[in-house]
Amino acid sequence: MREVFLPQRTEELWEILKREPETEIYAGGTDLLVKMRSGQVNPPSLVCLERIESLRGVFDKGKEVFIGACNTHSNLLEDPVIRKEFPGLARGIDVLGSPPIRHMGTIGGNIVTASPAGDTLPSLYVLDAEVEVHSKAQKRRLPLRDFILGPGMVALHPQEVLWGIWLKKQPSWNVHHYEKVGRRKALACSIASMAALLELSESGTVVKARLAWGSVGPTILSFSHVDNNLIGQLLSIETLSSLAKQVELSVSPIDDLRASAEYRRTVSGLLLLRLLYYSPSFRQECDSRKENSMSQDIHCT
Amino acid sequence: MSTLRITFRLNRKEIQIEAAPDRRVSDVLREDLGLTGTKESCGAGDCGACTILVDGESRLSCLMLAAQIQGHEITTIEGLAKDQRVHLLQKTFVEHGAIQCGFCTPGIVLASLDLLKRNPNPTRAQIREGLVGNLCRCTGYQKIVDAVQAAAVSSQEEESL
Amino acid sequence: MKESERHTPITDLLLAQRTHNRILSIGTSAPRVDAYDKVTGRVEYASDYYGNNVVWAGVKRAGVPHARLKTIDSSRAEKHPGFICVLTHENVSGTNRQGVVKKDQPVLVDDKVRYCGDAIALVLAENKTALKESLDLITLDFISLPPVLDVEKAMESGSPLVHDNNSDGNILLKGELRIGLGSAAEEECDFLVEACFETQRQEHAYLETEAGWAYMDEDGRLVIVCSTQTPFRDRMEVAESLGLDTGRVRIIAPYTGGAFGGKDGVTLQSFLGLAALNTKGRPVKMCWDREESFLAGTKRHPARMYYRLGAKKDGSLHCLDVRLYLDTGPYDHLGGVVLAQALEHAGGPYRIPNVVLRGWCVYTNNPIGGAFRGFGVTQVTAAIEQIMDMLADRMDMDPLELRLKNALKRGDKNCVGKTLVSSTGMIDCLEILSKHSVWTERETWKRSGVPFRQRGVGLAAVMQGLGYGPVVPDYANAKVELTSEGNIRVYCGVVDMGQGNDTTNLQIVSHILGQNPDRIELVQPDTDRTLPSGSASASRCTYTFGNALIGAATTLMDRILKRAADFMMAARNEELVLVPGGVRCLLTGHEIPLSKIAKLLSHDERVATHHFRAPVATEVITTNQNLRLHGLPHTIFSYAAHLACVEVDELTGKVEIKRYLAVSDCGKVLNPQIFEQQIHGGIAQGIGYALSEDLEVLEGRMLNSNLSTYLLPTAEDVPEIYSVAVEIYEPTGPFGLKGVGEISTNGPLPAVSNAVADACGIRVHQSPLTPERVLGAILKNRGRGEHVEDHV
Repeated sequence: MREVFLPQRTEELWEILKREPETEIYAGGTDLLVKMRSGQVNPPSLVCLERIESLRGVFDKGKEVFIGACNTHSNLLEDPVIRKEFPGLARGIDVLGSPPIRHMGTIGGNIVTASPAGDTLPSLYVLDAEVEVHSKAQKRRLPLRDFILGPGMVALHPQEVLWGIWLKKQPSWNVHHYEKVGRRKALACSIASMAALLELSESGTVVKARLAWGSVGPTILSFSHVDNNLIGQLLSIETLSSLAKQVELSVSPIDDLRASAEYRRTVSGLLLLRLLYYSPSFRQECDSRKENSMSQDIHCT
Repeated sequence: MSTLRITFRLNRKEIQIEAAPDRRVSDVLREDLGLTGTKESCGAGDCGACTILVDGESRLSCLMLAAQIQGHEITTIEGLAKDQRVHLLQKTFVEHGAIQCGFCTPGIVLASLDLLKRNPNPTRAQIREGLVGNLCRCTGYQKIVDAVQAAAVSSQEEESL
Repeated sequence: MKESERHTPITDLLLAQRTHNRILSIGTSAPRVDAYDKVTGRVEYASDYYGNNVVWAGVKRAGVPHARLKTIDSSRAEKHPGFICVLTHENVSGTNRQGVVKKDQPVLVDDKVRYCGDAIALVLAENKTALKESLDLITLDFISLPPVLDVEKAMESGSPLVHDNNSDGNILLKGELRIGLGSAAEEECDFLVEACFETQRQEHAYLETEAGWAYMDEDGRLVIVCSTQTPFRDRMEVAESLGLDTGRVRIIAPYTGGAFGGKDGVTLQSFLGLAALNTKGRPVKMCWDREESFLAGTKRHPARMYYRLGAKKDGSLHCLDVRLYLDTGPYDHLGGVVLAQALEHAGGPYRIPNVVLRGWCVYTNNPIGGAFRGFGVTQVTAAIEQIMDMLADRMDMDPLELRLKNALKRGDKNCVGKTLVSSTGMIDCLEILSKHSVWTERETWKRSGVPFRQRGVGLAAVMQGLGYGPVVPDYANAKVELTSEGNIRVYCGVVDMGQGNDTTNLQIVSHILGQNPDRIELVQPDTDRTLPSGSASASRCTYTFGNALIGAATTLMDRILKRAADFMMAARNEELVLVPGGVRCLLTGHEIPLSKIAKLLSHDERVATHHFRAPVATEVITTNQNLRLHGLPHTIFSYAAHLACVEVDELTGKVEIKRYLAVSDCGKVLNPQIFEQQIHGGIAQGIGYALSEDLEVLEGRMLNSNLSTYLLPTAEDVPEIYSVAVEIYEPTGPFGLKGVGEISTNGPLPAVSNAVADACGIRVHQSPLTPERVLGAILKNRGRGEHVEDHV
């Protein structure tokens, strides 16, 4: 029998964490309880964060938005600010797990679990997300890229809790893209994924670009040389194919049960070609040739 | 360490139980309360057979601990019928042949209820999307989609009268 | 709609479900009789029993693929407060051997371990937690033996042996069939194609894992309630292996939460029995968790198939050479029967005058190969239907045309030389498919894809034999009773594991006896109350039991009418008719209620039984008696033509099935809704087999034994399925019916693979068609000169 603490106030939380140094913290339980069942972890007690109000809520602060760590994935999908300002993140959450898992799992949990396959993570990286970490004594803010250290590893000191995520609004970006590759259409662990944030001019030239890949390295990967090589280019097969080769050389995937490193490497480059769907000239040319318009297929998994 | 006294509403009735705080809600329902309509098929959140509603929202009871349900409203399949009347979804599931071995049925009916609450007029594709968390090995899902769609249409028709 | 208005009176639901105000006719889509209880959570499955004073039982399994057992150390477990006792083979008084054809599987290992799931010890504990903790505290010591892991290597001399006393090394069964000139006819062919196909191990993954409970009743008889397809056979196996008199064992089979062949035969019955014999009167419960179900249960045999198919330039198939290897794991478990059925279906539904078929079913230390919907036909259909397309491509012939030209007709001999004497609707299925809009509009549909998503369509022509073959009797005994209250009680002999035969039984009886369903009750299979009726398998449930039921219901009807005629002084039975609730004399209008007639009949007269035995093939197509025993040949076949429309994503290799058509000849359809349910469900399992399901095994150990890593199709992975029934009357079937349980599982893999070839010009010879395999084939093909932009 384990004690399960459900603090409602932050002071309670700090007291419990101090008293129970070996405890495990969870919010939705969709990762931790599975690990406990398989025997991977066996904590003497548990702390559930679901009742702490200040860990929830989405706050539009003008230039930035603050997302409480214990917002469930479905909270975020229903939030109009998230949908409007960060559609790429919304897309990532849309293909995460399944409806009941989204009702339980939280964005904070997805970050702290720090799986390279986490579906919120590539979008958070291209959005240059920052995390806010609290302890009894202090609050600190740091880039997500620095918070996630490796697979399953985050820069949390003892008695610290991830409190929330800061996202800057990005009005000039007009392409918010996320694609996940899984071995079935839904409820599948990502075997490769790519998020892209682009500003395209009216003619389809790339003004700004940020890309990030999941499941092809120990953490989410992004490459400034790839981002920079897109700038000033028209989205075309030639540009993207040659960039794909660069990406293939830059990622560092592993072989595992779900996919080989070679496949992940190849796909990480090929996923770039999907960005052609956002090119106005490409779409025009294809629409005129086909009977169906492409718009419903932009969001592809 | 002692068990916890937990007060919550179960199928619209207030109840109080004693349970180990880390006892799985699926075990509380099936073993302690005799409500075996909620099934276990994987124990790890991958199949949806253990789906229940918590404050009207679908959740996986195999990944919830007893301490968490304090103060909440839990609905299991047994609670869907009210005063000798079954829910419209139960009726459409029966009529449209959406039930074969029946093991996934309780979970998928509750998941459908949640789905229709959020989206009262879903397309077939949206119904499928809303049910990906519930695996069925018998039906191929087609008649389940038929049943959910029929319940949605039926509700829409009622509303327009 | 107001919340309150969403609720329908239960009577309305029962009305919808059982249409209790009128007789259920053959051919109507009567909703399932069990649906109401299932949709309200009231049905108690075998796992739902939690009685008082229950003992929990669990198995300690080997965890190594091949080893001699040295010691079992339970000393630490014995100190656990919830531990009751541990039982080993020394506590088993009977043969300690189980199996359907060959009894080679121990209840608890007494010599050596032959696969990771082998049961070593049975632990009894006070509760679920104590059980798990006690099991973890038991340590096993083994002497490892070199494992047998590959089928072809297992047949080499010098290979370690899985069974030291097996007469043929590691071969469980082998067979060879030759028709005409065999492969010598290859010289006469104008076209010859050759390919090797490998299909994977598939997991049944029924939602209800193996479960049950058991107790000793007041008469000292062992009663076992369990999730099973075979209660009567289980009773024999439990009695024999545990050393009990068969009459002292009772098996009750409640509604089963899916089985698909994985519960065909003993799973946990003997463990429950052994435990109940050792709990000093307390009831015992066992429930396998998902990982144990993966570890211990049987799988679809992985197959390696070498095919050579030749044709003349007019398109007629001329010769076929097949070598087929099945990895059957460590125990017989119907493996030989799977091989026989695979050989029989290896040539598909075609006329091929020169054939040589060779097959080997080989023991290894991999997981057990056993019965799985399709049963060997699924594997060979994947091969023959793909090589047919390869041949059509080589000959520049339309794949539908090639099939139409060579499809079997009634009176033809099939690839094992068996004359088709029963209904043969293969051409009808293909013709109807050819007129369906999904086929006729395929070119327009293919052109409507989006960039990087190539569309293609693919066909598969499939067949499936019904029943057990010429030697093992396919029989059923139906029992129908007019109760003393004047109701009708049907003793269902074959388990309803989701296929809906309970409802079909109800329909048959309602139809023959002219009674409304609310006067008809069903008794689920129970060795004390229902009669032996064979397994819920082999697509024979409704065919065989339905025929027996027609006999029993008709006998009861005759008795009722005869007695009524005597009582009402009618001259002949024909002047009377059964109407809901009673018998009416058509000449006088006089009516007596059934409750009264019940009192006019003795108890024996009120119970009618009828034995039916399915017809078997008269032709002897092999002198190999062992092969005949294992089922060669069948005589009743169902047929179908499938069409898959797919989209292949050239950036990721993902294959999405956009629509699927199945045109099936399963004889007359007794209940269209139930028929469609079977078609849809089989196709969904076939789609999993085609695209995402793969139980991977390395060095005898499973790598993905949970539902997170073993991927079943979700609601988004199965497309809209169009199903058309071609109802060719089968005279030997109940109201003209043939089996539908398995056939639809055989179509998806070859249809999808053919569609991928149509879309991208590549063929993946290994299943499932994972994104990795498909992308690999596309890129390899592209290395020969094609570019991405060609496909935009």
